[in-house]
Parts: sequence; C-alpha cells; structure tokens
Amino acid sequence: MKYLILGASVAGINAAKTLRKLDKDGSITIISIDDKVYSRCMLHLYIGKKRSIDRLSFVEEYFFEKNNINWIKGRRATKIEPEKKRVVLDDGSFHEYDKLLIATGSSAVVPPVENLREGKNVFTLRNLEDAIAIDKLADGSERAVIIGGGLIGIDVAVELMDRGLKVDIVEMGPNILPMQLDKRSANVYERELKKRGAGIFTNVLAQKGVLDSNGNIVEVVLKDGTSLSADMVIVAAGVRANADFIEGTNIKFDRGIVVNERCETDEEDIYAAGDVCANKPGIWPLAVEEGITAAYNMAGLEEKIENSFGFKNSMSFYGIPTISIGNPNIDDEDYQIDIYDDGKVYKKVVHKDGIIYGAIFQRDISYAGVFTKIIAEKIPIDTIDKNIFKIGYGDFFNINSKGEFEFTKREYGLKII
Amino acid sequence: MRRIMIDRYKCEACLGCVLGCMVEHNKKGKSIYDLDLEDMANESRNHVEVDYENRPAPIICRHCEDPECVTTCMSGAMTKNEETGLVEYDKDKCASCFMCVMSCPYGVLKADRINNEVIMKCDMCSNREVPRCVEFCPTRALYMVEVAR
Repeated sequence: MKYLILGASVAGINAAKTLRKLDKDGSITIISIDDKVYSRCMLHLYIGKKRSIDRLSFVEEYFFEKNNINWIKGRRATKIEPEKKRVVLDDGSFHEYDKLLIATGSSAVVPPVENLREGKNVFTLRNLEDAIAIDKLADGSERAVIIGGGLIGIDVAVELMDRGLKVDIVEMGPNILPMQLDKRSANVYERELKKRGAGIFTNVLAQKGVLDSNGNIVEVVLKDGTSLSADMVIVAAGVRANADFIEGTNIKFDRGIVVNERCETDEEDIYAAGDVCANKPGIWPLAVEEGITAAYNMAGLEEKIENSFGFKNSMSFYGIPTISIGNPNIDDEDYQIDIYDDGKVYKKVVHKDGIIYGAIFQRDISYAGVFTKIIAEKIPIDTIDKNIFKIGYGDFFNINSKGEFEFTKREYGLKII
Repeated sequence: MRRIMIDRYKCEACLGCVLGCMVEHNKKGKSIYDLDLEDMANESRNHVEVDYENRPAPIICRHCEDPECVTTCMSGAMTKNEETGLVEYDKDKCASCFMCVMSCPYGVLKADRINNEVIMKCDMCSNREVPRCVEFCPTRALYMVEVAR
C-alpha cells in the first residue's frame, strides 16, 4: 500500500505515526513545505527567545527513520489528479498514491486594510519562517502594533514586550480574547499587559497603515482616528485553508475541505485532516484526532471521529492560567450563570435545565477537564446535589474490570441511588 | 500493563494515598519523616473527591489506553510508552499550555501550586514495585492488578 500525506504538521505527523502502527510494510511518504517539524502553538516562544528551533519539535528524535517514513521537504502540491491517483508538485514531479491524506493546514489572512498587505514590516505568525522574521526585526524595533487580540495576538504581544518593545493591541471585540473569555476574566490579562506598558484598543478596527518611502508601515490609523506609531505590525486576524491544489477535483470545499466523520473527502481514496478541514475550530487536539482517524480509514479499518468538540482553549499569561470551555458568553436570561469570584480565583458556569453550555476557570484550573467532558457531551448535572464548582469525576465515578475510568450513565432527571 | 485498581467502597478518605504520593515525590527524601507538610512544594499527583452523597472516591491516573492528555499535548511532553503502557510526562519539554489539564475527562491533572508550570502527573513511582499510594492505603481500597491491553 502506498500512502501519501501532504503536510508535516500535527495532523500529517499523527496520521503517519498511526499508519506505521497499523501497517508495518506499507510505503509512507510525507510531502511538505516545512523542512522541520515544529509545534505552531509554540512559535511565540521562539520570538521570546525561550525556545530554540530544536525545542519547538513535538516528535521524538529520528521520528522519520524510526517509523520508516519518506519525507520530501520544501515542496508544495500544485495539483491532484484523482483519475491517475497522483499528486503534482511545484517542481513538476509527481507522486502516485493508493491513499492520499491532505493535511496542509491553513494560512494566516491579512484583512483588506489599506496598505496592510503592502507593508514590508507586516507579519503574521503561522510558520517558523514568520517567527524567524519577527525575531529578526524585533531586534531593531521599538514599537509594535498587533492587529487582533486573540490567542496568537496576545502570545506575540507578551513575547515582544518581554523583549522590550512597546506594544499596542487592536481588537474589534469588546475585550481581548473575546472568543474565549468574558469581560471579567479578560480584564485580568488586560491589566497585566497595561501594567507592562501595553496599549489596548478594543471595539475598534484598523483603518489604514501609513507607509514610509521604504514601504514600511510607520503608523497604524484606527477607525476612531487613533494613530499608533509602529516599527512592525503583526496581524493575527484569522486563517484560510491551504487547499488551492484541489481545483479540478470533486473534493467539496466550503471555507475548508468538507469531510465525513471518517475524514473522507468526496473523492475516492482522498482524506483530509486538521486545519484544512471545514466547519470547526482549528485546535491542536482536533487535528491529532482527525489525523489518527484518517489513518485508520486509510489502512482499511473503519474508525469515526469520537470527539469533535472544539470549543475549548487553555492559556497562561504572566503565570495566570485560564481554561475556557463551550460558550461562556451566552447572553440569554433563560440561562443560569453561576459565578465564584474571590478577587483572584474566578470561575463561571453557564447552564440551563441541568446542561452546562459554557465555563471559565481562571487561576484555579485544577481538575477542570471534567467540565470539558460534561460540556462536550451534554452530560446532565441536574441531579448532582452540590455546589456546581465542586462537581468532579467523583460524581460520575465508575471503574471497569480493566481499571479504566468510565462515566456513570446519568439519565436526565433521574437520580442514581 | 500494571494498573492501580480502586475499590471506592473501601475508601475511608484517610488521604493515606495522598500522603504516600507526596512522600515519594519529595525532593528532600523518601521517608515519611522527611515530609514537611508546610512546604508548598510537596504536592500529590492523586486526590480524593467526595461525591454528592459524601462518598469518597480516590482519583488516580489510569494511564489510559487512549489518553486524552497525550492527544492534546502540543509539545511532545506527554507520551504513551507502548512498551510499559505508562503515560509519561517530561517536564523539560512541557510548555505549560495546560491543554492536558483541560482535556483529561476524569479531572486527574493540575498544575503545580507554586509556579503554575509543571503538571502533577502520576509516574507510577517509576521503578518501585508497589506505588507509594497503594502501599500507604490501609483499607486495601487501592491494589495492583495486571491488565491485558
């Protein structure tokens, strides 16, 4: 069997690893633009000089040799020819496959703001090359403007400030990290950032960049007229799937490649996994899950995505950890909001009729994983008669004969005695 | 693989397992007499919960066959050892992103309480024949079993 994988990031690597586990003799080839394996979630740590390039890797040493995987680096697919079962690369060469996995991820998008796409000192943070370029320019820079106050934006802001830059953050939402946090929990981070000199501009969009004669943006003007001077601009405002090469195939595309729960596309023997796929948050655990699921099906074993809940994020800035699950910002009086707040530790649980829809845990995140499970699977808690913040796995405790934990089945409105 | 079995109905919530775990992971020595409970650095990797009917339940890492903490780890710090079956944690690789804490469905994991940096992860007491939590359990609520994988 000839397996071909496009992309050497989290989904592709996990697929390759799983394929080798399931098929000892099959030929596995990975083709990627990346010439190193690295965790995109750790790129900001390179900017902050906290990790070297080697320490950004998430695989063991000699991963490719140990697993007998052929890796073609520095190449990009330009076309898929399903009828010939082959992929054409940017150097004109082609590679045949029996089973093909598309795991090419996504690219950062620069919004159509005047001069933003033209500015030479404008960066996104998606690839190692981006991190290296930001690191280089940061050396001679004093001021950075970050457009987009989401997780990546704040990650970069923290590291650039750590290197002594004055940073301004522009976010169109009512607070930074609006997808994950509410006002109360976001304020904690905003305060920490401001304390260290950051400017935070919320509820506002960038209107234009002002270019100097060298083509660098020296000023970012916001819609409300505020002008921020800049030596560099970082844009962290969304992504788009890397799938130009599927043109001409029957693979369905809707802001990402459409797959079923077995990670199959509409084209036979072609699978997709990770951020290149449609209709879901691009988070690490989902990409792993999809890579593994795709591999099982490519190897001829039926496997479905078990856990496709993607609305969960954890973060830690300045030693303050937060976990956000589901939608903690539901604005509907039918929902009950329970809050624990002692001025430091902050916990919020949003629920309705015994089902939890969203939660935030800040500063004390211990054992919070139980809530991820309860929220993802809508496990009813209406019969658990205790403080909602004290709910734990103990309330669902069940151990099987192999010593594995399972969740006691709780029927809605039915008390277990 | 070897697993720590839990009979919750024998648990009296004496916290012997919690003490045992702290003793084993105490950097200042592995005897109960070396353990300073006022030293915040002494933390256990297990805990005992009380459920909605005040029944205790020891919560100890299962070293799952399909571990969520490994699936979710973006630094390669959390790995499943296919030979021993153990889920191993390498604190030097860890980037303290806490996705494992967020993802363990059994709420086993937490970060250390001093620096919020290192994950408190059961290592089955590495080379020990009987893990310390099992050894410290006076009611045999905890015992070792060999399970097929």
